[in-house]
Amino acid sequence: MRLFTRTLRTAFATAAAFWISACAPVHVNSSLERGMDFTRYASYTWAADEDFNTGDPRLDNNEFFQNRLRSDVERVLATHGFEKTTPTTADLVIHYHANASQKIDVNELDYQYGYCEDCHSSIYDAGTITLDMVDASTHKLVWRGWSEGSLDGIDNQATIEARVDEAIAKILRQLPPRL
Amino acid sequence: MLRILRLPLLAVLGFTVSACATMNVSSHVEQGLDFGRFQTWQWAPADALPASDARMDNPFFQDHFQGAVERELSVRGLTQTVSEGDVPDLLVHYHANIAPRINVNHGDQTTGACYDENCNVRVFENEVGTIIIDVVDGHTNRLIWRGWAQNPVEGVLDHPQKFQDRIQTAVKRMFERFPRSI
Repeated sequence: MRLFTRTLRTAFATAAAFWISACAPVHVNSSLERGMDFTRYASYTWAADEDFNTGDPRLDNNEFFQNRLRSDVERVLATHGFEKTTPTTADLVIHYHANASQKIDVNELDYQYGYCEDCHSSIYDAGTITLDMVDASTHKLVWRGWSEGSLDGIDNQATIEARVDEAIAKILRQLPPRL
Repeated sequence: MLRILRLPLLAVLGFTVSACATMNVSSHVEQGLDFGRFQTWQWAPADALPASDARMDNPFFQDHFQGAVERELSVRGLTQTVSEGDVPDLLVHYHANIAPRINVNHGDQTTGACYDENCNVRVFENEVGTIIIDVVDGHTNRLIWRGWAQNPVEGVLDHPQKFQDRIQTAVKRMFERFPRSI
């Protein structure tokens, strides 16, 4: 019975997350330094802690959010064959940043052509996560990936964790191949 | 029949919406931690977080806020450490700020709730105050719980009694989510 309730709850959370994200799609993109041979990097380290200032007080210096993000990145990079090492020996230094801001969506309001059946404008909190990979010896940015999506539901810990997981997976899927 | 049903439904809907609009309270927690083992706590030095607002960072706010937090922690069986040398089990940080938030009217033609005949979208701006409480493990220095409460500040800051009530409610509701029962 307990398992059933839990399954039901997960299903509901997934449905809710899907419904919310359907309103505000996740946009992902990345850019790579031109002519970069990405295969020569094999190890990484995290950049020293910076003030985690996001624009939303609920996320500012929120260690739960940061730990989730870091462990997601570490897990995916391990599957890509990257090794986490000390700052002195790492090839890459990884910085991360998150930013939150409000967005207005009025696209659905098109009265001019009379298409509007269930017209409404909406407002949502958008969040962007950025990952920067910097060459440890030259200090030049070699790769940047980012993801923008809705932050609605940030009050719920499970929802925000699922959002971070999804964003990191999508960002790192764009890493150049290493073979 | 339908019409009779519609009125209470609208009333319920209106209540739910306004209840959400007044105060938003939530929290994040370190999973799988036994909060029962903590005995003592102390205030941590104030955080140097960005955008602190003087309207909420003043002795009036601090007095009422700190008093409310001290009460909530004490009813949960946590004692405030007295001497300087003691390392408390929990360190409590807090941060309060005020930030503008925007809102839109929904441009809804079906119920006729438009502001003018063209049903243009209106954007409203209001200010929302946020209080954050961070509870840190005093021995490991790791964040183990964060609670927050958000409330529009219009008509609140200018009325000391209302402001005080809102602070009490915010702290009470945040600690209802603290994983240690009374």
